[in-house]
Amino acid sequence: MKTLISLSVNGELHELAVAPQATLLEVLREQLDLTGAKEGCGTGECGTCTVLADGQPILSCLTLAIDCEGTEITTIEGLAQGDNLTPVQQAFLEKGAVQCGFCTPGMVLAVTALLRESPNPSDQEIKKALEGNLCRCTGYNKIVEAVNEAAERSSSTNA
Amino acid sequence: MRLPRFQPLQPKSIEEAAEFLGKYGGVAEIMAGGTDLFPRIKYGVASPEVVITLRKLSRESQIAIQDGFLSIDSVTTLSQVIRSELVREHAPLLADAALAVGSHQIRNMGTLGGNLCLESRCTYYNQSHAFQFVEPCFKRGGEICYHVPKGKRCWAVFAGDTVPALMCLGAEVEIKTATDSRRVSIDQLYTGNPLRPLAISPTEIVSKILLPKPSARTGWAFAKFSLRGGLEFAGLSVAVLLEMMDDGLTCTGGRMVVGSVSSQPLRAKKAEKALPGKQLSNDLFYEIAEMISEDVKPFSHHGYSASYLKKCLKIQVKDALTLASQRVPQSP
Repeated sequence: MKTLISLSVNGELHELAVAPQATLLEVLREQLDLTGAKEGCGTGECGTCTVLADGQPILSCLTLAIDCEGTEITTIEGLAQGDNLTPVQQAFLEKGAVQCGFCTPGMVLAVTALLRESPNPSDQEIKKALEGNLCRCTGYNKIVEAVNEAAERSSSTNA
Repeated sequence: MRLPRFQPLQPKSIEEAAEFLGKYGGVAEIMAGGTDLFPRIKYGVASPEVVITLRKLSRESQIAIQDGFLSIDSVTTLSQVIRSELVREHAPLLADAALAVGSHQIRNMGTLGGNLCLESRCTYYNQSHAFQFVEPCFKRGGEICYHVPKGKRCWAVFAGDTVPALMCLGAEVEIKTATDSRRVSIDQLYTGNPLRPLAISPTEIVSKILLPKPSARTGWAFAKFSLRGGLEFAGLSVAVLLEMMDDGLTCTGGRMVVGSVSSQPLRAKKAEKALPGKQLSNDLFYEIAEMISEDVKPFSHHGYSASYLKKCLKIQVKDALTLASQRVPQSP
């Protein structure tokens, strides 16, 4: 028997009938067509399913959809305003921090959450914040550069 | 990987969760953050008919001083533990240990109670058995071991990072059923039996973790060794607490606990006896690091050999003692 839930995703409220054991990842991808969140491992070891729950990064592959009522979920699709990319997205593109792109949605969301809490993180803080997001392509250096670039841009905008 | 069908129940409180356990006992599992249970369900090593999910309870979890103890609700997420000013003031060792767990995402979901109640693990146990294995291992109810071929016992390790810290801090644990409540020292929670590492029955749930008031002058350190240095279970972990006299130089005693090298965290009691009355020094730390191997015999696990872990342990203990001594508040 499916359960009716209300899910708030990227500022929009959706009424959905979900299987009781459906994960948030399945519901986002299969019922809401938000395929930015990926299944890389399904067991919490890669971070490609990362979404923000009330602004905090979580793993949607290990989260039941029914447990997300009353939580504001943000996916990668919810960051850009139309064609206007966020500073983090812009920095990722410009610094070459995107190769195959599979880890990128999870990375960008994790970085977005990091910079909200810690606008000027050290390289060590960046690596600690991103330890849950694996990348097989870039070797991480460009990603760290992109985070530093985004941090610098955001602080000069606010200055 | 999809989760198989089960009936989820969403209790409104720990007490209601205990009631559900009383009703569904042997066919139900508690899911706190989901970061341990769901992978095990996906690997096919857990198959509950009922999953009692505590995820929503984490939003209202409490950390407070109660009757002289720092009381932490078991559904408090590790991130909440790390951010708590009360924890940072009264038990910074716990905050450091919680920070070592998993990843930021896992810490946002995983709870302190869940970390205490981690199932023991092994490379061979914690993966899908669909294609590779002919027979179940001991931990899966069979009669062989893949980690030690022709072995006669299970070698799964208990890898909860916060537990060595909690043991150093002298933590107690409140455990509830639908009708009853008991409180035990955290050491009593662990059986040392890799097949069944926790001394908790299917109708019981950990409800609170309670930390006594710390002594005035302590130094502390937590160290975790792993290959990648993040998002990994420990090859080994060490928690150290040093209690000092008012002069800030002479030790009155201390605790050292090593995790992730055996089926339960191991207290280095013989090495601890070398501390009282001594002035802290590099030579003392080297001496204690050598003594550790009398108390702690690491299992090989997850690709780390026992002989490597034995050497690694000495270095980690020495470094942890050094850091702990640097953190002792200086005399005014």
